[in-house]
Amino acid sequence: MSDPTHDRPRTWEEGGPERLYVITSGRSVAAEDGPLDVVTLIVTKKDVPGSGMQPEHAAIIHICDYPLSVAEISAYLHLPVSAVTVLLADLLESGHVEARAPIPAASLPDVELLEAVMHGLQNL
Amino acid sequence: MGAIATAAVAIAAGEAARRGHAIDELRRQSAEREAALHRQLAEQESATVRMAEETLPKAMGRLQQGTPAEEVLRGIDHDSHVGPRFEAANLDVLRYVLRAVEAQEDLRDSAQRAFVNIARRVQAIVHQQAQELREMEDRHGHDAQVFGDLLHLDHRTALIGRLADSIAVLGGARPGRQWQKTIPLFNVLRGAMSRITDYQRVDLHSVAEVGIIGRGVEPLIHAVSELLDNATRYSPPQTRVHLTATEVQSGVAVEIEDAGFGLTDEARVRAERALAQNATSGLDLDDLGEAPRLGLAVVGRLSHTNNFKVALRASAYGGVRVVLIVPPNLLTTTPAPGGALAKAASLPPPRHPAGPWGRRTAPPPVEEPMPAPRGVNGLPQRRRRTRAVAPPVRRPKPAVPTSDSASPVSAAPPPQAGLWLAAFQEGISGEPRAESPAHRRHGLSAEESEQ
Repeated sequence: MSDPTHDRPRTWEEGGPERLYVITSGRSVAAEDGPLDVVTLIVTKKDVPGSGMQPEHAAIIHICDYPLSVAEISAYLHLPVSAVTVLLADLLESGHVEARAPIPAASLPDVELLEAVMHGLQNL
Repeated sequence: MGAIATAAVAIAAGEAARRGHAIDELRRQSAEREAALHRQLAEQESATVRMAEETLPKAMGRLQQGTPAEEVLRGIDHDSHVGPRFEAANLDVLRYVLRAVEAQEDLRDSAQRAFVNIARRVQAIVHQQAQELREMEDRHGHDAQVFGDLLHLDHRTALIGRLADSIAVLGGARPGRQWQKTIPLFNVLRGAMSRITDYQRVDLHSVAEVGIIGRGVEPLIHAVSELLDNATRYSPPQTRVHLTATEVQSGVAVEIEDAGFGLTDEARVRAERALAQNATSGLDLDDLGEAPRLGLAVVGRLSHTNNFKVALRASAYGGVRVVLIVPPNLLTTTPAPGGALAKAASLPPPRHPAGPWGRRTAPPPVEEPMPAPRGVNGLPQRRRRTRAVAPPVRRPKPAVPTSDSASPVSAAPPPQAGLWLAAFQEGISGEPRAESPAHRRHGLSAEESEQ
């Protein structure tokens, strides 16, 4: 068969052969509107991946030994944030990970106040 | 008188004898001629039979292998037993037939090429689009609505791609995509799931931890996706389709089991015939018809070129169980051996490369045992402990705590709690005298740290 497109080098080796919708089982939105944000911190609760668990789930459990934000997980797994959110919703439901709300900047104490306390302590 | 009569009789007898001879001669000649004709007829007959049973099929075979008609004609051995005219006529017949067949073959060949060509172009566009869709999915990943729509498009695109792949395979072309590196079987099977309509109904169970070498990846994905498509298509929509892969003596067996209506014996025979179809016969346009036939023809073709063995059996669920055996020459160890995590080839990278994560993995063996019990007790406890140590040190010399707080914690925590209180009260009263042994020790540690 001599067709022109035949021997053209293909750049298909990057990534796996599976598409994202298989990884998320076709879901693009988490079942319940969870509290997940890009900056929500995720920590592993049970470090024992269930048998037959999807590799992506296992990977999240594995890397979240240390609290990671959703954005970080997304970057490490090379998966879009929405896909990660779907996977995290599964894990939250099964109790493998827990989500910690990020510390809002507004709730941090005032810097001046902290300085005043510091100076006060130093003057003791 | 008598003499005359005798002479006449003698002459007559002589004449009769001569004529008898002549007749005998003629008879012999005619018999010979008849025999020769018979022989010739028999030879012509056998030449015709030979032509029908030997020469023509052989010539056809050579023609179908791609030898031009003229060359085939030249290669035919001459039959010297029959007359030149008969032979010439025979050759003419052969030539007409071969030319007609050649024209037909050419037509089919060009049709096949056209099919493959179109399929290739569709494949190229689909590949391009799939890549772009993946980029878009990354780009719009934070917007769930857009992301969902993109996933939908991505799925439909994959279906178009599989149809184009099928046409190319039936046209005798090699698979369009080529994978250079080894891909774990798990990912290959998920790749197969990616290409069917009802992928959500497929349950991917335990998968043998093997890798499929590059050249086997695309055919296997395609064959499994066609089988999965049949399984999901011919079973009730609420039922599940089970996909597993186990190592067996002769390679790896990929099993697809559905809970459909099953196969009648007749249907099974038909399906097996479709699977076993001769792969060298070129594009059969009928194969492009209804779905099961197209799928099975594609699987048959792929199995033939890649030595897959496909068997259809009745399933315990009442449906069909298809077993596809991947030969050992396409198998290798997984590139990332290990637990479930390693099954996803694209995932582990973040753990290995030098990056924030790489740095993070190094400490855990040392650090990990510590945070775990603390997590159970909660943070307040830890704070109390450090507070118990830190203040007495900090009071005499505010600069010390960082170096000191870590080690003494485990050294002598119980006595310090009380001693610290004493030291604190002394500090409050404004008398930093070294009276108690505890105070002395603190003073000492302060001096040590000063040095």
